[in-house]
Amino acid sequence: MNKLRIVFGVQLVLFIAWGGYLLSSKNSASPEFYLETRPVDPRDLLSGKFVALNYDISSPQAGTCPTVSSTALSFFVKLEDRGRTVNTENGPVHVYEATDCAKTAPFGAAVWAHATPRPGFFGRNSAIYGIESFFINENNPLKDARSGSVIAKVKLGRNNQLVLLDLVKKIQP
Amino acid sequence: MAYFKKLKTDLAGAASEGIITPEQAGRVWERAYSRRTFGAFKAVHWIAAASGLFIALGVILVAAHNWDKIGAIVKMGAFLLLFAGTAEASLRLEEKPAAVIPLETLWFFMPVLGIGLYAQIFNLSGDPVKPYLAWAALSAPLALLSKRPLAAYLCSLLLFASLYWGTLGASSVLSLTVHYNQTAQPLWHWALALAVLAAGIALYPGKKLGRPLGAGIAWLFFMLVADTAIRLRTEALILLAGMSLSVLWLAWSSEEEGSRGAGLPLTVWTAAVYAMTFFWHYRTHDYYGSGSTDTAAGAILAWAALGAALITLAVRRQRVLPEGKTEDYLAKGLLAASMLAAFLLFDANEGSAKILAVIANLILAAFGAGCIVSGAKNSDEKLINRGVLVIILTAVTRFVDIFGGLLKSGLAFIATGLAFAALAYFVNRGRKALIDSVKK
Repeated sequence: MNKLRIVFGVQLVLFIAWGGYLLSSKNSASPEFYLETRPVDPRDLLSGKFVALNYDISSPQAGTCPTVSSTALSFFVKLEDRGRTVNTENGPVHVYEATDCAKTAPFGAAVWAHATPRPGFFGRNSAIYGIESFFINENNPLKDARSGSVIAKVKLGRNNQLVLLDLVKKIQP
Repeated sequence: MAYFKKLKTDLAGAASEGIITPEQAGRVWERAYSRRTFGAFKAVHWIAAASGLFIALGVILVAAHNWDKIGAIVKMGAFLLLFAGTAEASLRLEEKPAAVIPLETLWFFMPVLGIGLYAQIFNLSGDPVKPYLAWAALSAPLALLSKRPLAAYLCSLLLFASLYWGTLGASSVLSLTVHYNQTAQPLWHWALALAVLAAGIALYPGKKLGRPLGAGIAWLFFMLVADTAIRLRTEALILLAGMSLSVLWLAWSSEEEGSRGAGLPLTVWTAAVYAMTFFWHYRTHDYYGSGSTDTAAGAILAWAALGAALITLAVRRQRVLPEGKTEDYLAKGLLAASMLAAFLLFDANEGSAKILAVIANLILAAFGAGCIVSGAKNSDEKLINRGVLVIILTAVTRFVDIFGGLLKSGLAFIATGLAFAALAYFVNRGRKALIDSVKK
């Protein structure tokens, strides 16, 4: 068999496997919840119609987070509903907050999201979850959305990876 | 098309002078013209290509408008079908260059299109360098196995671009620079960066290693200068490393490019020596670089580069001037002097820096004179011109930068301008005489 045909076959299988993994992660049975966003540069200029997002949980300061985020190559952030709500068109919804960090994900019912550190001033690393951009098509009513004016609807996918499902506009009370 | 116009004129001229017959001229012209790029394309092909392009663009825009309404599986399926179609067509049309070159190029870009599409569908983000490394890893087998060098060129370029961007950037899987007073990057980043560098050099097609070697050496120098685990802060060590690396590049770029093909490495070495001439203005400054010091690894690399360059000079053919006993001595002496002059910067004061600048000027003058004499001896007009250019550039720069103050500079410019005009006249006469003697 032509060696290039094998190369092509391997490439195709990898893309099919990766697509399957992403689909199963997005459709996993874990509960959906909301995250509060913070203002950030409005658009990712290089990528076009992507909203650049920053979250309250991007700078976890609770529990062991300052230590863990500045020493580990990757870590887990515990996300919990502590009763904080945000108003949306469908009424108030609860937003999750970062309450602790760990180098390995502890077993249990709590939500532990995988994060990687990004260097910050004075050793204060921020946490990157892989949900920092969202594509908005030209017909989308959120096309003028900005981080800080929306909340993010997410769920926990495979390997404790957060999956970004949608953005929901905040309404001032 | 200018080439074909000139070829037609030359062939007609050769036929009219009786060098070849008009029939031969006609046949040569037909053969050359029919093999031009897209030579087989007739007007109808161009119109058909434009039609296909417009339809494809239209379909893409309509699909983009309705992007939200198309499901993830449909988008992924369409991509996989397009991917399969491109690769399969490329494999089936392997013997038809006009079709296989664009198809194989498209195949090379398909992985990054897929990565971008998946990232958009699933709103993925994160390390900016990872997708490009994944693309390079997926396309490397194609680059290695393809009969044509294009994919290998593109893959090598992709790897070097990722290497520079990733290692100098703040937070990626390749980051080697330290930001915000963080501790040094993990060791495996270095392992990955070196693997990317090795792959970039290995995938570069053909035996001409000059460019990938130069890109690798330049990257190493950036790593020494940037805030990495091998950083250098002492000016003497930086200069020593820089000059040694430029000599290494000059000596080890491909043999088959020949001494005259040493172009870019030789230009870089000349530019480095030229930059050294500005140490005339050196001032001692205790404040500079007081925040950080040389690393042991960086210092070892700088001394190793010097050692390797000196050994290379001893055992390898010089590529600065054409071969010849005198030329060899002169070229190797100049290369060694350009590196060893950096020792004057250790515990430097303004006096030793001035000596360094004078030595750099003398190296350039000797190099220029060597080029002119050797060029005349070897009937090499290009070499003569290079020598004249180096000497004139050095002279002009010295006239410009050693005078200070408006009045003094003004008078000096007028006086030296007149002298320089006379010098230029005599240099040009001498140059013409040399070139004429070469032509005779």
